[in-house]
Amino acid sequence: MTRDAAAVAAVQTTRLGRRYGQVWGLRDCTLEVPAGAIAGLVGPNGAGKTTLLQMIIGLLKPTEGQASVFGQTSRAHTAATLARVSFVAQDHPLYRDFSVADMLHLGRVMNPSWDQGLALARMNALGIPPKRKVKSLSGGQQAQVSLTMALAKRAPLLVLDEPVSSLDPIARLEFMRDVMAATADTGLTVLIASHVVSELERLCDWLIVLTAGHVQLAGPVDDLLAAHRLLTVPRATQDAELPGHCIHRSDSDRHSTALVRADPARMAALDHPGWQADPVGFEQLVLAYLQRPPAAAAQDDPAQAAARPGPTTKAVTR
Amino acid sequence: MIWVSWRQHRSQAIACLGMLGILAIFAIVVSSSMRTAFSHDALAGCLAHNPATGACQGAVGAFMNSFNTVVNIGFWALSLALPGLIGVVIGAPLIARELEYGTWQLAWAQTVPRTRWLVTKLAVVTGGLVILGAAMTALITWYRQPMDRLTGHFINNVYDFEGLALTAYILLAFGLAVLAGLLIRRSIPAMVAALVAWLAVRLAVEYLLRPRFQAPLTLRQTCAHGCSLDVGITSVPPETGHIGDWVLRAANPGNQIVGTYQPAGRFWNFQFIEAGLIVTITAAALAATIWLLRRRAA
Repeated sequence: MTRDAAAVAAVQTTRLGRRYGQVWGLRDCTLEVPAGAIAGLVGPNGAGKTTLLQMIIGLLKPTEGQASVFGQTSRAHTAATLARVSFVAQDHPLYRDFSVADMLHLGRVMNPSWDQGLALARMNALGIPPKRKVKSLSGGQQAQVSLTMALAKRAPLLVLDEPVSSLDPIARLEFMRDVMAATADTGLTVLIASHVVSELERLCDWLIVLTAGHVQLAGPVDDLLAAHRLLTVPRATQDAELPGHCIHRSDSDRHSTALVRADPARMAALDHPGWQADPVGFEQLVLAYLQRPPAAAAQDDPAQAAARPGPTTKAVTR
Repeated sequence: MIWVSWRQHRSQAIACLGMLGILAIFAIVVSSSMRTAFSHDALAGCLAHNPATGACQGAVGAFMNSFNTVVNIGFWALSLALPGLIGVVIGAPLIARELEYGTWQLAWAQTVPRTRWLVTKLAVVTGGLVILGAAMTALITWYRQPMDRLTGHFINNVYDFEGLALTAYILLAFGLAVLAGLLIRRSIPAMVAALVAWLAVRLAVEYLLRPRFQAPLTLRQTCAHGCSLDVGITSVPPETGHIGDWVLRAANPGNQIVGTYQPAGRFWNFQFIEAGLIVTITAAALAATIWLLRRRAA
């Protein structure tokens, strides 16, 4: 699917940064998520994921740069921004002394576009009685109530911050399945932050890797996988001899394994005696970038720069 | 949004009603025995004739023996704690609890801008507190009615419970606590900080400003057989000879009484001045809270 150059990105950030006292929680973050994408935001704890998400939806004011949702700057004191985003925060906070019905009623009175039918149908399907108090629900059920509130808001962008990190494996599976089902029905754009890489692999078609406040990698998952190869080369091979850009390298006694990034055409033509080129997996790719020093993102190759939208918007292939 | 505010403060509202109920039971029990004693001692008739000469002294003394402890002592201590406690317990968690439990991310991500969210909540809760303050004032005024006929209601501990002062001081504690909750971000420390600030304002007003709301009148009178200065609770201040006057200062050099006082008739002037001052401080605290919350948003 090739998008029209004029199409508005669901999420766009330009040199976005947020400082907490003397420390930058996030710096110089420029990225784009096209409408309709299911984007995974991966990063270790403290990488600035929550900061980025809160600035995107307008809960937090950027120190520098700007964030926009569907072409409009995120400003949380206008109902227009708020109406376009549904948010499930980390640990899915709810009012503990409310009943489930109270929570849904809160959603109804605070959102003009609220879909009560959808909310009740989901609670029914999940077997959560509306009369139950929130504090008596299991963690998985609370997460489902949060997701239901976000979906029933009927906003075109759904932002999830570590939605499954506190859930057991079964609840994780069910939660992610429900997110997928919801997006399939409605063409929702989803931005989901997680450090559970395996969960994202099944869900996402767009990937953003964030470490220590910097974007390491961003783009459509298929393109990113096509642009990377895992090369097995003799140990003596220098980094400079490798095609493209070496992202991560591990050396054993006789061989080295290097994850390189280069033009897919050049990769296909690669035929070097004694070298073996293998396609890279999603998790391998993410881990390689997570292990990279943050400074490496700054002096990046042209392929990486191309994944960042410049001043002139260009077509992004998905 | 009004429903949300109500639902979040429902249990606090029920607790306040419970407290009002206990207060009412206490008031009815004590006040009815006080009213019986008042009419039994024929104090009304005595006061109507000539309160200043001391003709009623015996009857007043007996009445005071029975009721001074329960009605007057303790009121001052209560006035220093109760309005402040009510205000901070309700005010501090209003924002701090959302920050502590992370629910701000839920509340402020709905389609209601956080400024409107806060203003609605403040309006609903302030309305509730005004009703509570008015109900408590009415109850205490009714309860103290016989005693007020002997002492007036200008003396410090009574002044703080009748008229507008009680409601104004509940609102002050509430406003300071909401602001403290936003700044400190934790409910309990915010309650403590707000209570300390509230007490500082409360005492500064009582001891530094209130005596000066209007220029006090001076008194100077000569007594033939030596003057006795008794500014206490026993009914009529001998300096002015009029129930309810608030004697600020008095001394008796020789056969004279020299001093200053605020006449009883100024009670409502003082109430309006003090309530105006306190409500202004409250409004400033709430306006600062709204401004800070808005500034933090993108």
